[in-house]
Formats: sequence, structure tokens, C-alpha cells
Amino acid sequence: MTKIITIIALLVSSVLSAQTPYEQGMTKALGLWREGKSKEASDVMERIASAEKSNWLPNYYVAMINTTEAFNPANKSNATALLEKAQQAQDAATVISPNNAELLVMQAMIYTAMIVQDPMVNGMKYSPKVMELYTKAKIIAPENPRVVYCKAEFEISGAQWTGADVKKLCLDLESAIPLFEKFVPESPFHPKWGLDRAQQALKNCK
Amino acid sequence: MKTFYTFVLLVVAFATQAQQTISGTVLDEKNKPIAGANIFIEGTYDGASSDDNGRFTFTSTATGNQVLVISFLTYETLKVTIDVANGQNKTFKLKESVNSLDAVIVTAGTFDAGEKARVSVLKPLDIVTTAGAMGDIVSALQTLPGTQTVGEDGRLFVRGGEADETQTFVDGIRVAQPYGATTANVPTRGRFSPFLFSGMSFSTGGYSAEYGEALSSVLLLNTQDEATEEKTDISLMTVGLGLANTQKWGNNSLSFNTAYINLEPYQKVFPQRADWNKPFQSLSGEAVYRHSFDSGMFKLYAAFEASQFDINSETINSPDKIRVDLNNNNFYLNSSYKANFGSQWQLFSGLSYGYSENKIGISLDDVANTEHASHLKLKLKKSFSDRVKLSFGSDYFITRFNEDFKANSGGNFNSGYDANIAAFYAETDIFFSKKFAVKLGARLSDNDLLRETVIAPRASLAYKISQNGQFSFAYGSFTQAPRQEYLKYADYLESEKAQHYILNYQYSKDRRTFRAEVYLKSYQDLVKFDTPTVQFNSDFSNSGSGYAQGLDVFWRDNKSVKNLEYWVSYSYIDTQRNYRNFTAEVTPSFVAKHSLSVVSKWWINKLKSQLSVTNSFTTGRPFNNPNESQFMNGSTKGYNNLSLGWAYLMTQQKILYFSVSNVLGTANVFGYEYANTPNTDGVYNRRAIRPTADQFFFVGFFWTISENKKDNQLNNL
Repeated sequence: MTKIITIIALLVSSVLSAQTPYEQGMTKALGLWREGKSKEASDVMERIASAEKSNWLPNYYVAMINTTEAFNPANKSNATALLEKAQQAQDAATVISPNNAELLVMQAMIYTAMIVQDPMVNGMKYSPKVMELYTKAKIIAPENPRVVYCKAEFEISGAQWTGADVKKLCLDLESAIPLFEKFVPESPFHPKWGLDRAQQALKNCK
Repeated sequence: MKTFYTFVLLVVAFATQAQQTISGTVLDEKNKPIAGANIFIEGTYDGASSDDNGRFTFTSTATGNQVLVISFLTYETLKVTIDVANGQNKTFKLKESVNSLDAVIVTAGTFDAGEKARVSVLKPLDIVTTAGAMGDIVSALQTLPGTQTVGEDGRLFVRGGEADETQTFVDGIRVAQPYGATTANVPTRGRFSPFLFSGMSFSTGGYSAEYGEALSSVLLLNTQDEATEEKTDISLMTVGLGLANTQKWGNNSLSFNTAYINLEPYQKVFPQRADWNKPFQSLSGEAVYRHSFDSGMFKLYAAFEASQFDINSETINSPDKIRVDLNNNNFYLNSSYKANFGSQWQLFSGLSYGYSENKIGISLDDVANTEHASHLKLKLKKSFSDRVKLSFGSDYFITRFNEDFKANSGGNFNSGYDANIAAFYAETDIFFSKKFAVKLGARLSDNDLLRETVIAPRASLAYKISQNGQFSFAYGSFTQAPRQEYLKYADYLESEKAQHYILNYQYSKDRRTFRAEVYLKSYQDLVKFDTPTVQFNSDFSNSGSGYAQGLDVFWRDNKSVKNLEYWVSYSYIDTQRNYRNFTAEVTPSFVAKHSLSVVSKWWINKLKSQLSVTNSFTTGRPFNNPNESQFMNGSTKGYNNLSLGWAYLMTQQKILYFSVSNVLGTANVFGYEYANTPNTDGVYNRRAIRPTADQFFFVGFFWTISENKKDNQLNNL
């Protein structure tokens, strides 16, 4: 009897401890986000960030989730507040991990969202900054597929406005696809998104 | 079995320790529940979101005193220390963030442009893409309500005030000589190219106690905090050449901008009404150096301009024209340092030095004058919270003016003055709620030349009546030392004074803005003199007075038509003053009762072009006809100017720009100059004051060279 109980107890505790609270939290948050519950996902990420003071990922996701929401036209009235929240998380993440290509891409996305909000006011101000961020990210991580893809996509969107030739930019975009296949994230929670979006963008290019 | 019991006990003990429940309700200031607030214990994974009733509950393994964080978008994040053991059924109230986009802002009197402005009336881009503005900041501002179009002068005249009642500040520091040197009836331009400025605030009254020595208006220009990228801009224009370059290294950046303007070739092709011996030419340059520290910023701005022209001015009093030959050298230096320190303190310190030297030949007489003008400033700002801010500081203005007049007939006359003004001010900003804000301040200034100390209270408040609409009210008392023209002969004068009362309504929604403002301004202690012109032996006094009242309306719409932006400004003004050598209280000659401006910009994607159209209309302006017994009884006919601009994007970085002012060729008359003495028939002859040319054509090519291939000079046109 004692043995059985001990075994059960051990089993239970090992099941419980198989995932650390961090892993549990991240799994839950990313799951919520996949289900479309971005507000809840952002909340859980915010809590994880408060506990994991030296990990940039939870803040990265707070920034990511809120920026993605800001791009959604349905959130137009809230977009500035969402981007403000994203920027705060982004700042916190950058303090933890400076010169991180993924975070540079994130910052570029926040600025891009601001440009989308008000192209006339923000376009002139943020376009050069976005380009500078992508250029810097490309120096740090030339093989990072998100850097290559996002840079190309941003340049294509600008080229459409001015009517410049996008052929070369489409080639840049295309070169991101094999990089996605080669890319190995450091952990299951590190950023690995973008392949489907890059493929979609490439379709529009041709 | 014993082991089993031990285990059960342990589990139970562990569970009771772990299962500490935290629960409560999150409400807003009106006790309405907030759904979706994020509640968690700082430093742990334990937390929850509130439900539709604002209720939340979660369990935590934490013990003792912990910091509970409650955050929700557009509300101030609340952090409270709670004892976990007693953390049940608590009620938490969140305050709406006054930093949020839809919070009330004090808008009475002020037009903001630039990135920091929440409701931008003008955008930095507008300065330069407004047809007819020709890249002149001041001309673009003249399309806003509250300003007067005074075509023969070119400066800013605000709400019945003279041009020198407006002070210009760069990064909070005064610019003593903001306009290029000129002579009568030849319009001037602002000295500053819009190139280096990222934001602008133009106040037509009721402004902050931080700014003094301005009776009517302040224009605040802010240089960019950081250079965005390294680039070179080249401009080739029918009137001259320009070159600009920006460099960045580490925490430093340097931008410079130089221009050479020569109107001679242009005026050879397009004959002018004015008779130029040597048309206007100038060489100018501006540079900004910026260094950013961890929590601060140092900026150094320097500008110089050397200009000259030689013109034969017509006058009704002499059959011969009067030759005016002007050489002006101007230098302006402005340095500022801004830093955050301690707990929510901000320090700003800066100084400026302006030097202007004029050598003017008027017929055979010579005038030479120099002005040294400095401004030292120190300002401290403390944020007690998002809702309460205090700022205080001091200014010290030093002006040294000296003029030598050498008459051809012999004889020298020297005049000048040294004036020092010390001023202190304090101001507080209080947000009572997201809907109601108040700004209270006062300014104390002491002028040693005039031996005078004055105190000027200022107050403004804003109340939001609906989601998109708000009212603001501003009151202020303003003083300004008499202008150079008087001070050089009379240091016994006092400062001139004005009181402003402004009521403003603003409605702003999704790229549409409507503003209406009524104001009343009263003037006291205006300078009067008793001679036909200002002379060294005139008898001056502060016995003048006046008033201005009116309505300003502004509508901007960037939404209704795709790719079209337009704004409409209308001003009605009723103003009279008895000053200078006026014999009665009348409307001065620079004031038109009704002014209407329509500015539009249309981006045509197919043509890769921006077409801009500006129309300015004003009703007639008064003039004095000595043939009539009543003073200042004449009125010119209305003024109209339709200008077109066309910017064509040849490639992403090359722009071709055309513009034409007064397309319709309207023969505008600004006023009349009457003879000092009647002719043999006893009639005073007159001469119409007209523009130096009815139309102005401009062609320019602008090329930007930078890493970012998308950048161009569209924003400089």
C-alpha cells in the first residue's frame, strides 16, 4: 500500500513538475493567442513578464500581441493605447536584451503600425527609422528569416506608393523562404512565425 | 499506513498554504465595473482578468504583503500593497489615464503642429506643401484664422496686433530678429527654413506664463530631437541653390542647411513693378548639433545670413525715387540642455545670442545699426503625478542697440539703449479628471531700462463636453517693452500692456477638426508720439489704448475625399486703437475685417503628383485720406490671391516643383501713400502701394541622396 501511494505521489509530482511554471504560463498564453483570445494572452504574458524579470520573451509577446491587434482595423479607436502598451513592453524587453534582431523587428513593426494609423503625419517620421532598424537587424542577424521578410515587405509597401520597381524587392522576399526552413528557434517559445505570411506576400508579388 | 497519513497531512497543509484566494472588484471612477482588467501579484504568475461585472478571483502561493498590480488599457495602472491573507472582496478603483488620446487638452488660443500635438491643426508637412507659402513658415501660418495677410510687409500680424507683438522662440529661447531685413513695402520672410524643425506651436493669445515680452502672440519652433538618417539634399531653384546634409555618429548628429538666393536672373526674365538696382541676394546657413545623454539632450543651433539689395523706392513726396541700399548680417546661436533627474524632475537650460548689423544707405544719408540680443533661460518642471505638474523658471533678456545716422548734409546722430529684463514665472497644470483640466500661472518681470516691475497672471481651463468636443477658456495679462523704434529715443516709457479673454470650442473626430474661437483683447499704455514720423525729438507717452474682438473659425478635413486634404479659415475682427500719432481711435491700416483662406492638397497617384491650391481673400483695409476730414476713413478694395503648386515625384528621391502665386493676376492694392503737402489745387496726391510683382513663378528641382530610398524633400517644398 505504502509503495503504491509513494509511486502515485511520485507520479503525480513528476507530472506536475514536468513543466515549470514558466513553460506552463507560456504554453497557456500562446494557446490563448492561437484561440484568438489576444487580450487574455497579453494579460498572461504580462504576468509572466512580472515574474521572469530577466527573460525578454514575455515582454516581446506583449508587444507582439498588442501590435498585431493595433493593425486590426476593428481596433482603430484603441490603436494608440494598444501601441503605447506594446511600446512599454518593447522598452522593457530591450533593456533585458539589447541588440536583439527579433526585438529590432518588433520595434520596426510598432513603428509600421504607427505609420498605418496616420500615414501623413507618421510616415515621414517613422519610415526612415523603420529602415534603420531593419538595416541594423540585418547586420546582427543576416540569416534571420523575419528580418529579411519584414524588411522586404516594408520596402514593397513603400514602393507601391511611389510606383517604383518591386522586382528586386520580390527577390529579397523570396530569399526569406529557405531561411525560414533553415531557422531553428532557441526554445519552443522563441519567435518562429512568419513563413505563411511571407509565402502569402510572395504570391501577391508575382 | 503511517506514511500515508503523513503524506495526506502534508498535502493538506501544502494545499491550505497554497490556496490563498485573492478576490475583488475593479471599478472606474463612476463605480462602473471594468471588464478585462489584468490583476496579478507582482513577481509571480498568479493573477486573473476581471469579468463583465469587474469581479476577479484567483489563488496564490504568495504570503504576507505583496504588490497587487491592476492594469487596463487607457487607465492608469494601479499598484497596491495588500496582505495576501486578507486579500478577499477588495474593491479597486482605476482612474482614466489623462495621458490617453481622448483626454482634455487646453487649446484656447493655440494651434499645434507636429508629432507631439494630439490634435494637429497643421502638420509640419503643411508648412511646405501649402501653395503660395514658398517654404516660408510665416506665410503658411497666414492661412490660419486670427492672422492678417499684410502683403506689403510679410510678417505675422495677429488679432489686431502689430507684427512685433509676436515673439518667436526656437526650442523655448527667444529669437530677437526672426525676419530678414527689408525696407518699406518690400515683404520679408521668416529667417528659418522648415527643414530643421519637427514641431511648432502657434498661439494667437492666452499663452503660458513661460513666455513673456509678447503682447499678441508667440510662435514656438522646436528643432528635431534626433536625426533620422544620414542624407544629402540638393535643391536647384530658379531663385538660387540649396544644400543640406545630415550626419550621425554614436549619440551625436549634425545637420546643416545652406542656401544661396539671388533674384537677379528671375527678375531679368519677369519684369518687376519695383525698380531694383540690385535685386535681393542672400547667403544663409543653419546647423544643428545634437548630443543625447542617457537621460538628457544637448542641442546647439546656429544660423547666419548675409543679405543685400538695392532698390529705388517710389514716393509721392518727390519726383525722384529714393534709393535704398541695404546690407544686413545676422547671426543667431541657440544652445539648450534638457535633462531628467531625481524623481520626475526635468531641467531645461538654454541661452541664445542674436547679432544683427544693418548698413542702410537712404539716398545720400547713411544709417548703421547693430543689435546684440541675448536670452538666458532656466526652467524646472516637476511631475507630482500624471495629474499634477509644476513648472517654474526664470528668463534674462539682454538687448544692446546702437544706431549711427550720418546725414549727407553733415551732422551725426547717435542713438541707442541697453535694456535688461529679468523675469520669473511659475505655472501649474492640474487634471481634475480626464474631462477637466486647469493651468494657472503668473509671470513677474523687471525691466531695468524702464525701471518697471510688472506681474502678469495667466489662467486657462478646458472642459470636455462629449467624446469629441471640448470648451477651453483662457485669460492672461501680457506686457511688452516698447519697440526699438521708440526706445532708442525714449527710455522714459513704460511697457505696453494687453489683456486677453478667449473662449474656444473644438470638435475633433477621425481626421476632421472644427474650431471656433471668440476673443476680446484690450490694450493699455500703447505708445503715442506727436510728430508725423518717429523722431529723436518727438514727445512720447504711454497714453494710447485700443481693443480687438472677433471670431476665428477653422475647419480641416482629411477624410471626406480620398487623397484630398483641405482646410478653411475664416476670421472676423473688430479692432480699433489710438496709438502712434493717431488723432482718434480707429482701425489701423493693416487690419481687414473679414479674412478667408482655403487651402487644399490633392495627391494624384496616377500622375505621381501633389497639386496644391490656396486661395486667400480679405476685405478692404483702411487707409487715411488727408483730403477727407475724418481720420483713416478710406478703404481699399478686397484682396485676393489664388496660388497653385504642383510637386511631381520623378523618382522616389527626385522631385520637380512648380508654383505660381496670384494665378488670376488680381491687381491687389495694399493701401495708399499720400503726399505730405497738398498740390496747387489743394488736393493731396496719392500713390497706390502694390506688390513688387503681381505674380511669382517658381521652379525647383529637389534631390535627396540617402540609404533609405524612399526619402525625399516633398516635406521641404
